[in-house]
Amino acid sequence: MTDNAIIENRAQEVPFSHVLSELLETNVKQNPHKLKTFQGLYGVVGIDLKDIEAAVTLVFSGGRARIEQGIVGRPDIVIKTDSDKVIGLNSISIRFGLPYYFDEAGMTVLRQILSGEIKVQGMFAHPVILTKLTKIMSVM
Amino acid sequence: MPIKAMTQEWMDAYKAAIQADPDYKSIAKDWEGSVSLVVNPEPARNVPEPIYLFMDYWHGDVGDFVVCDKEKADSAKFVMTGDYARWKQVAYKELDATKALLQGKLKMKGDLPYVVRNIKTVNKVIDILGKVDTLWPDGNK
Repeated sequence: MTDNAIIENRAQEVPFSHVLSELLETNVKQNPHKLKTFQGLYGVVGIDLKDIEAAVTLVFSGGRARIEQGIVGRPDIVIKTDSDKVIGLNSISIRFGLPYYFDEAGMTVLRQILSGEIKVQGMFAHPVILTKLTKIMSVM
Repeated sequence: MPIKAMTQEWMDAYKAAIQADPDYKSIAKDWEGSVSLVVNPEPARNVPEPIYLFMDYWHGDVGDFVVCDKEKADSAKFVMTGDYARWKQVAYKELDATKALLQGKLKMKGDLPYVVRNIKTVNKVIDILGKVDTLWPDGNK
């Protein structure tokens, strides 16, 4: 981890972790409002991509994050889906500082959540973490 | 008649197919920047040397589509690298490019959020790639 890096990737053996790390780091550094959200995000999020047998845990600690291999501990939120759908989560628009689910990308994700193609454990218990996560992961 | 994959003639055919696609222009209207594909060698599949392909895309238009050297390939805004067999699988739609990226089967250098933001453009050019009548170095299928 370099001095100006904000993500520590401890899941080097999981190729998905490199994509996730680069996506998050670039996205946050390119957008001051996302950086601010990132700096206020504390929580643990697991992402489990069954189809490619890849799972990581993101540990957010206010302006820093680390990625662990596998689902470790008891994450606040666990997202279970397939690799082709996880990218869709990055396409959710942000309007007035909140995720917007009423355009094409948002409706697609909503449908996938309702049909069980995307499972988000902890979404009702930790809505603030989920909202902040969506904001920093959104590339829109 | 099939065209030998990853030759200049094939690149010309690919460019023509993109230009002829009725939906490409509108889908790719926001994309700007060149893309290189680096094909890692696989001598057992009749690809003895790396192959570098450079493609220039600009807001729904297409510019240079050339077989090039490493230096030109590296100059592209986005550089995607993978083994020959992976690229062939992508062309045949046996391997989803996004999934391949997440699995590390393909690697990408460039602004990843930009690519994700424009994933429809990426999927479209891959879709068109599969329509080019191609003769692969190790045979078709």
